[in-house]
Amino acid sequence: MEIREYYIFTDNKRWVFGSLFLALILLSPIIVLAISFFSGSKTTLLYLLDNVLLDYTLNTIYLIIITSFFALILGVFPAWIISNYIFFGRKFFDIVLYLPLAIPSYIMGFTYIDILSYTGPIQSYLRDMSPYLAEIFNKDYLQIEVLGALLGLALYPYVYTASRISFSLIGSNYVNISKNLGLSTFQTFYKVILPLSRPAIFSGLFLVIMEVLNEYGAVKYFGVNTYTTGIFRSWFSFGDVSGAIQLACILLVIVLFFFILDRFSIKNSKFYYQKNSQIQKMKLTNWKKSVFMSSVCFIPFFFGFLVPFFFILNNAIQTYSLTNFEKLIQLTGNTVYVASVASVIIIFVALFFLFVERISKAKINFFTNNLISLGYALPGAIIGLGIILLFSKFSLVGSLFILIFAYIIRFLAVAKSPIKSSLDKHPNTIDDTGRNLGLNPLNLLRRLHLPINKFALISAFIVTFIDIMKELPITLILRPFNFDTLATQTYEFAVEEMIPLSATYSLVIITLGSLMLLILKNFIDKQINVS
Amino acid sequence: MYLEVKNLAKHFDSDYPIIKDLSFSIKKGEIISFLGESGSGKTTFLKCIAGLEKINSGSISLNSVCLNDKNTFINPQDRKIGFVFQDYPLFPHLNLKDNITFNLSKKYFSNLDYILKLTSLKYLLNRYPHELSGGEQQRACIARALIREPELLLLDEPFSNLDTTIKESMREEIYKIIKETKTTTILVTHDINDAMNISDRILIFKAGILQQYDDPVKMYCEPANCYCAEILGDLNKLFVNQETYYVRPEKVKVVKRKSDYKVFVEKCFFQGKEYKIKGRKDNEIWHFFSKDPIKEKEDVYVEFGKKDLIYFDPVCKNFFK
Repeated sequence: MEIREYYIFTDNKRWVFGSLFLALILLSPIIVLAISFFSGSKTTLLYLLDNVLLDYTLNTIYLIIITSFFALILGVFPAWIISNYIFFGRKFFDIVLYLPLAIPSYIMGFTYIDILSYTGPIQSYLRDMSPYLAEIFNKDYLQIEVLGALLGLALYPYVYTASRISFSLIGSNYVNISKNLGLSTFQTFYKVILPLSRPAIFSGLFLVIMEVLNEYGAVKYFGVNTYTTGIFRSWFSFGDVSGAIQLACILLVIVLFFFILDRFSIKNSKFYYQKNSQIQKMKLTNWKKSVFMSSVCFIPFFFGFLVPFFFILNNAIQTYSLTNFEKLIQLTGNTVYVASVASVIIIFVALFFLFVERISKAKINFFTNNLISLGYALPGAIIGLGIILLFSKFSLVGSLFILIFAYIIRFLAVAKSPIKSSLDKHPNTIDDTGRNLGLNPLNLLRRLHLPINKFALISAFIVTFIDIMKELPITLILRPFNFDTLATQTYEFAVEEMIPLSATYSLVIITLGSLMLLILKNFIDKQINVS
Repeated sequence: MYLEVKNLAKHFDSDYPIIKDLSFSIKKGEIISFLGESGSGKTTFLKCIAGLEKINSGSISLNSVCLNDKNTFINPQDRKIGFVFQDYPLFPHLNLKDNITFNLSKKYFSNLDYILKLTSLKYLLNRYPHELSGGEQQRACIARALIREPELLLLDEPFSNLDTTIKESMREEIYKIIKETKTTTILVTHDINDAMNISDRILIFKAGILQQYDDPVKMYCEPANCYCAEILGDLNKLFVNQETYYVRPEKVKVVKRKSDYKVFVEKCFFQGKEYKIKGRKDNEIWHFFSKDPIKEKEDVYVEFGKKDLIYFDPVCKNFFK
């Protein structure tokens, strides 16, 4: 007599159903959006197809290509150099190359346009020194190519981080073998290391692409028509909610395409290599090479962090007397409050989903966990629109609750990533031992997984906090009335052509973000040392 | 009987059952070795006993209490069963003392000194798992299991991660600890030496069913089938009256006079105490031992007692293929 049937649905039943219910709640805005697409008017869709869709699609693809190119160049090469060579400033660069993550891409855009503008420092200096050169530099920089390069500068740390970890994990054996087989250092990099790291690099690039699709502030400022700006324009400028929904759904399909491509790429090129000793470090005796390598690492740091940071700092000092410090403190408080509360909730929700997947081993949990991760790939505009459609009847729109709910959908995957890596490091026998020693699932979570994964939880909190602090589209759409954050204030000054006044607010975002990133780096190093 | 397993069946996919039908029992205080190849379902069996997996049919009872059958399932946390896993999963955030006393009822705290003395861990209490050697980690896991006075101790390949030099001493130590605490134990292993050295009885498991369950000597000398015979050591094959028989290498004696059995010596290995001879008889490879070296590429005569011949059903081998 088969008796498994008696138990299969009772095994951790409450946990499984709880996670499925929560997943359904988190997916509900997207479901509502998809339903609205089919109930929308065909005329709007035809209008979009005839007039704007091709323009939006081509611009979006072109922007993705340029940004990806710069992010790859600026991310992969420094990661390879830092993972393999000892040179002047290596430890310093290993820390500071992450820092551009602290600068929101819209601030990067506003700042560089200010620097390059006719009244900016470069052109003013050139006019005094060399009017001929000044003439050459006097151009309209609000171009999609410039935007792509700037987004590349702001987003390359995603590729850098993924590549850096992958290059470190591959270890010295493969390098030694390929050299033993007669490959030069460059050939080893090209023929062995790059193919082995392809899934990691693609994962980093996937995040870059998603950020480009989600980008609103800089894209709007540069006047480039992409899907996200299109959604905002249809919705707020033309009051055409139906058009906005249809654009959001088309963007959703594009996002799904990239999402599936990412999963497919990981599935097809996932290499199970033995993690071995740290990658062999070669001491450089040749100072020319050392200078070259330091320069390769310095360029992304210089243009991605130092230039915007000091320019903003200078602006902040110049506009010191005009700064409303009371408001600054209030907005910093708002930002820290909403980012902290949302991050804490998000890391616990992420841990809950991953824990249930781990203890239930049910395919349905694996599937829903993947599905809710899709939130990170969804532009804030889509999430915002979905939530408004869902909650407009309940008069909840414009509350902090709804704003935090949107952050959960958007940033759950960000928090899941470090927690999942940490959970995967612990064998399943840890859970079995806990159960064998008398722990029920709740105590297993509380007494084992919370303390064991505390570094990962803190890391998850930090990355989520930084992302929420920088977030713009969701906050713009869903923030409560009269509730501003540092990000929204910076954006508002910029669109009103008062960029110098936004400097102090930008500076607080960058300083907070940089501090958090430095703490995060310390935690990552600790985790690596412990493991 | 102390532990009674009746008609136990377990599968994850019904087309590929892991355990088809397993019945056996253990007396109190016995050490049983569960012997099988890697991937044969040994760990799954232990998990079923511990309640970490649910069985598909049959029953398990311990000390006259039903743990799992058609109508009953006792949660793992409510069974008094100690489990020592293969990879020594000590909790990385706790020191040795906190690991051993993790979730321990107050009534067992008095056992701490005794267990620490028994496992020689007294001076390592404040160390964290990453500061302990493999042997120390393993003893810590055993201490953690034994301190709660389990009714049954399950050891899952406890020596597989140890190198050969400390493996023997660990085996002896664990045997001493288990016997001193009179704990009924099931040791799962794929290593015949572990099973032979430590067990009161051995259970051989293959293709989802029990092949033989006996004491080590009887099992070695009277294997139930060719699989049990081969898993416990080398066999020399010979044909008598068109029937196939087997004889163990140590039952074969080299004789100087002519005998009925002549073997062509291919290799003579010096093994310290004696020489191991690899030869060929009727195109079958033979192994046996000799106190003196034997010239290679020459014939040698051997003999053995008729009672030492082992016979199996002719289709036995095909069944296991």
